[in-house]
Amino acid sequence: MNLFQNRREFLWSSAGGLGGIALAAMMAEKGMAAPQAGLPHHKPKAKRVVQLFMAGGASHVDLFDFKPDLVKHHGKNSDFGEHVEAFQNGLGPWLKPFWDFKPYGKCGKQLSETVSPLGAVADEMAFIHNMVGKTGVHSQGTLLQTTGFNRPGFPGMGCWISYGLGSLNDNLPTFVVLPDHRGLASNGTKNWDSAFLPSHHQGTVIYPGTPTPISDLFPDKTAGYVTRESDASTISLLNKLNTRHAGDRPMDDRLEARIQSYELAAKMQLAAPEALNISKEPAHVLKLYGLDHGKSSFDKEINNVEETDYFGRKCLVARRLLERGVRFVQIWSGNDNGFPRRNWDSHEDVKRDHGPLAFGMAHGASALIQDLKQRGLLEDTIILWTTEFGRMPSSQGGKGRDHNPYCFTNWLAGGGIKGGVTHGLSDQWGYKPLDRKHPTEVYDVHATIMHLLGIDHERFTVRNNGIDRRLTDVHGHVIKEILA
Amino acid sequence: MSSLRTSLVAALLSAGSLAAAEPDFTKDIQPLLDSACVSCHGPKKQKGNLRLDAAAPNFGIGESGSALKAGDPAKSHLIQRVISSNPDDRMPPDGPALKPESVQLLKTWITAGAKRPEVAVAEDRTKWWSFQPIKYPAPPVLPETERRWSAHPIDRFVRVKQLEQKLKPAVLADRRTLIRRLSFDLLGLPPAPEEVEKFANDPAADAYEKLVDRYLAAPQYGERWARHWLDVVHFGDSHGYDKDKPRPNAWPYRDYVIRSLNADKPYARFVQEQIAGDVLFPGTQDGIEALGFIAAGPWDFIGHAEVPETKIDGKVARHLDRDDMVANTMSTFMSMTVHCAQCHNHKFDPVSQEDYYRLQAVFAALDRADMRYDVDPNTARQRGVLADRRKKVEGELAVIREAIKKAGGAELARLDDLLSKIAKPVAGAAPEFGYHSALTERQDTVKWVQVDLGKSVQLASVSITGCHDDFADIGAGFGFPVRFKIELADDPEFKTNVQLLADRTATDVKNPGVEPQTFPAMKKQGRYVRITATKLALRQNDYMLALAELEALDASGANVAFGKTVISLDTIEAGPRWRRSNLTDGITYAKKTGIPQNGDELRKQRQDLLNKVVEAKTRERETALTVEVAEMVRQMAALPAQRTAYVGMVYTGGGAFVGTGGQGGKPRPINVLNRGEVTKPGKLVEASALTQLPNIPGEFNLPANHAEGERRAGLARWLSSEKNPLTWRSIVNRVWLYHMGRGLVDSPNDFGRMGQLPSHPELIDWLAAEFLKHNGSFKWLHKTIVMSETYRQSSAGDADAVRADSGNMWYSRMVRRKLEAEAVRDSILMVSGKLDLTMGGPAFQDFVIDKPDHSPHYEYDRYDPEDVRTHRRAVYRFLVRSQLQPFMTTLDCADPSVSVDKRNQTYSPLQALAVLNNKLSIAMAKHFAERVSKEAKEPKEQVRLAVRLALSREPSAEELAALTEHTAKHGLPNTCRLLFNLNEFHFVD
Repeated sequence: MNLFQNRREFLWSSAGGLGGIALAAMMAEKGMAAPQAGLPHHKPKAKRVVQLFMAGGASHVDLFDFKPDLVKHHGKNSDFGEHVEAFQNGLGPWLKPFWDFKPYGKCGKQLSETVSPLGAVADEMAFIHNMVGKTGVHSQGTLLQTTGFNRPGFPGMGCWISYGLGSLNDNLPTFVVLPDHRGLASNGTKNWDSAFLPSHHQGTVIYPGTPTPISDLFPDKTAGYVTRESDASTISLLNKLNTRHAGDRPMDDRLEARIQSYELAAKMQLAAPEALNISKEPAHVLKLYGLDHGKSSFDKEINNVEETDYFGRKCLVARRLLERGVRFVQIWSGNDNGFPRRNWDSHEDVKRDHGPLAFGMAHGASALIQDLKQRGLLEDTIILWTTEFGRMPSSQGGKGRDHNPYCFTNWLAGGGIKGGVTHGLSDQWGYKPLDRKHPTEVYDVHATIMHLLGIDHERFTVRNNGIDRRLTDVHGHVIKEILA
Repeated sequence: MSSLRTSLVAALLSAGSLAAAEPDFTKDIQPLLDSACVSCHGPKKQKGNLRLDAAAPNFGIGESGSALKAGDPAKSHLIQRVISSNPDDRMPPDGPALKPESVQLLKTWITAGAKRPEVAVAEDRTKWWSFQPIKYPAPPVLPETERRWSAHPIDRFVRVKQLEQKLKPAVLADRRTLIRRLSFDLLGLPPAPEEVEKFANDPAADAYEKLVDRYLAAPQYGERWARHWLDVVHFGDSHGYDKDKPRPNAWPYRDYVIRSLNADKPYARFVQEQIAGDVLFPGTQDGIEALGFIAAGPWDFIGHAEVPETKIDGKVARHLDRDDMVANTMSTFMSMTVHCAQCHNHKFDPVSQEDYYRLQAVFAALDRADMRYDVDPNTARQRGVLADRRKKVEGELAVIREAIKKAGGAELARLDDLLSKIAKPVAGAAPEFGYHSALTERQDTVKWVQVDLGKSVQLASVSITGCHDDFADIGAGFGFPVRFKIELADDPEFKTNVQLLADRTATDVKNPGVEPQTFPAMKKQGRYVRITATKLALRQNDYMLALAELEALDASGANVAFGKTVISLDTIEAGPRWRRSNLTDGITYAKKTGIPQNGDELRKQRQDLLNKVVEAKTRERETALTVEVAEMVRQMAALPAQRTAYVGMVYTGGGAFVGTGGQGGKPRPINVLNRGEVTKPGKLVEASALTQLPNIPGEFNLPANHAEGERRAGLARWLSSEKNPLTWRSIVNRVWLYHMGRGLVDSPNDFGRMGQLPSHPELIDWLAAEFLKHNGSFKWLHKTIVMSETYRQSSAGDADAVRADSGNMWYSRMVRRKLEAEAVRDSILMVSGKLDLTMGGPAFQDFVIDKPDHSPHYEYDRYDPEDVRTHRRAVYRFLVRSQLQPFMTTLDCADPSVSVDKRNQTYSPLQALAVLNNKLSIAMAKHFAERVSKEAKEPKEQVRLAVRLALSREPSAEELAALTEHTAKHGLPNTCRLLFNLNEFHFVD
């Protein structure tokens, strides 16, 4: 919400949104959920965001942040030069990366072999290697990255952006979440719930390729009695009766807004299945995303082909959604902790988990960046790769690594981001930022994304229980060094 | 103005040295703001919650943060708005734009740091309306012409303001409207059609009052209003965070709230019980269950269970835990926001950082955990007496046993060691564990395994021995059946002439570990010995039967089962550890490890030794005391079972989550944390309430060695004190909001400076004072409000009044209520004839839990809407934090991780789709149709009845015709589905 209320704003905020509905209805007529008044604050460089979230804590030193000293000192007792608190006390000998690194692109960025598919787009990517978190607990770390707070009760970044900027379409949700099909990550839906923002800004969960990709989009299959014809006839009579009811109750715009919501629902019923249908994508596109393997079932053990299929499919669906005006897509890799492990929390065996997960992620993400670029969408779509924390440069039980909330990596690409740069270095081990006094925090990343979307993160606030809340709490600086 | 112009000229002339031209706030800036801004952003009005009057303590800080960025005019929102070219954005909104020179003046002032003199800032923080004592204003007297509004004190307060605003109130609502309104408001359910008719046609003058009394006496009242309370305290049935574990024992708190409301418990006591019920009302059920308030919010299981308090992450988790308790307490009971004082003194309200940590100290001994307690105070007393006595006897016994141990020396130690190993053997010896059945999901699945002795044999005894497997930390007795029987027969199918050797199917058997269990066979004869398990052992998430050895001894004592064929219903056959043949291989865990398999001989040796070395008197005393302990254990077990509630309590645990129980409940030391960081502890603080509020001192003055409960008792007394103005204003405002759709203070969780000012300050004080006078009776308060003319107005307001009072701040009409998610769900079930009004008890689950033991997945898509257990009222729903119920959430139900003082109202396509297509509405529409077809014959009558049930009114002729035609074409269920989706179903006039 904005500081001075103009009339339009007043409609939104007065009387618990009562008047605001008038505007909602007005905007619904135009087929758009309205942006907040005063937004954008400045001319945006980007319109859309894709957030790739690696649940469990992806190892920066094995993927993106090359540390020759780890190779050199591999197997020697780790010495951090200070007392270290590790989540499971995994402070074994120094452990070199599990894959070889080599340079990619004009920028010569060193990437690990397991994320080599990203080499093709290395010149589009901006890396931040000095990210720091607050704790090594998954739940708090994950919430911090998704909502900006390490405790539940705050809206996800996508909710804020949906609330602030409104929708770019009139037939699909504004904020879509594509969870790992094996289960939700730590905190479940809390990572995209709207908290104190209106509920329609929460992430809409979609499971592409399943019998019910969006819940309640169509009548539950147990409903033997609803036919296409009866459905249409019901909606038509419903509208008549609702219109008459509203006519008898003038000046209550909420009634009109609810009538409109059924019209929008009907549009969504047409648009969503079309958006999720990848069967008509040409062969070269399916190949790009690694969906040309021809397999209908996969091995029991975690493997590259399967992980590429899962992640690539989500990336392709994301592209189709973005093209159709979805503003924010969050793609998850990895579920909560379970057995067998299908997330990035590689306490036991980095190679076993990170290998296929990272390869699949890299293949899909690279395809998405290339595909968006060839369609001219990359220039105003931001891609953010993140995780709740990194992993220790020391070993845990020989083959695994413990949590490292003191240092990890993010990378961004696309709308307004300068490609081929690395900002913020980690120290020689990847244990902490090289410059400990100037780390990068999630607030800075969020502030930067907001900035590119035309939002001044300090001025975009919502009062809740007496506090002006914002995505960046009371922190955050735009990272100018990675802006194009 | 001349000085303004002077400064301006100076600014323009000396552009290179702005400092020299720094405008003077009092002379130059204040007059400019006063003339252009303060009428909307000052002491009277605070649009966008922004004040630009010089005396404002929160000068320049509105809803969207600071309007002034010192040193940077371009980034200052104030400047951006006054120069905006968009007429919708530009300030001031009416009249001409600020002149360029005025804008330049403001810019110059901001560039120079936007400074204000100290005197202008110094406003006493305690001088805020909500901190002042509650006044007891007399209701205003209205002019003669206002007779309709003069009878009820509330109406007099309300009407006076309307007259000031020149607003015409709405007419009185008709009776059909009133009963539907009152029924949803007080009970959360629609009135039955016959009730509507009865009330509409009741000639009695006090028909409405009787209806009010009846509804307030109905148990559904407590359920309806408990839900409001649970929104505020952010109650949930799971922890939230990572591995979101269920809290199966959270519900007693929910039931406590329902029970308290139905009993019309005085509010002061209601408050006291929730903070310190165990201390102030010991031995009462409510005193324990109310403590669920302290534990209501989310809790980081991993941060407690896997990380000790000595680690930073453990400290953070516990800090967050106490922060939730403190914030919940202050926000719920006093509408104060203290959360931000964890990093610095509150910016606007009189809450110092130290006070915040003093509040944390109140809860510093507590954790959230399951407490066992007795519902009946008499039982609690008996249990206490027995426990004391047992402690004493066991004390004496320990002394005697120590003496015996000494006398017995090394030999006794050896025997005791061996005996203890029988109960708890050492790990990892024999690979041949035994026989293992297939896994099953149900504990009552019947499994059997039998040995073919080769020929019919007369048996002296049969013995079975449990396995040992460390899987899931089970160890000795792995898979040993909880209930079973042993039979002997010559028929391998056990269909004819079956002889029962042992029957343990009536009660659960204590797991014997790996000690052989022998059952006499009394010379019964047969070829097949069969063990049938009727209740299986728990493995992890599943059940199975496992046995290490079966021995059948003939009269000579020979084991005739050894090496014989084993047959079973099923088996996992995973050799060498698990296979049928292991059951008769003569290998048990005990034999393999060299530990005797039977303790009898050892026990005899032990007794012989004691007889030699210990005096008879001592031995007798030991025996007598042992018997006495056993008797007390028996008596305690015979007491009515204890209940369990998830509450805030002194917890004694193990591993990383130890609690303070081990230290006798001594509170953890609490320090002020510099910038809220656990790694930067500052001054150690004592427990207290807020210490800076006027007229109500917050110090507890406790002696040095006080029990932790005294801190909570101190806070409870302070919160519920008649002198605490916030407590009483806060609660009457909440109740008013739920009735009227808008609070007198429209920020119910924040009565501080960041909150809203009261629209009717006298009315809120009158209500608070009267509520106190009526002993904090909610039912008095409800009745007083709903009996008012203000409440009974039509929701169709006067057109001019609606235009002028669009937010209904002056209550010039009744709010048209959009039904809450719970009311929608309950109504759907009720009109469909499916609502089960059973009260209380464990929550129903409208999901299936997958992987309950590790990271539970709450799978709502697997919910069966025909599951009758879920047809209870929504207040009994199991509230999962990490996975919100999609249908209810889309309908704006409260998120249990957030304190919700008023719910959002949204109208999204996803909401429309949920009501249209969710399996619950789809299934219930079918039941609704069935019900209507049973109760009415003709199609037209069926439609008519359906409308009366769903909307509490008769359909118009036109509606009836259209719906009947629709029914004829598509069937009644489709018409019922339509009714669920009507605006009229979701709104109450």
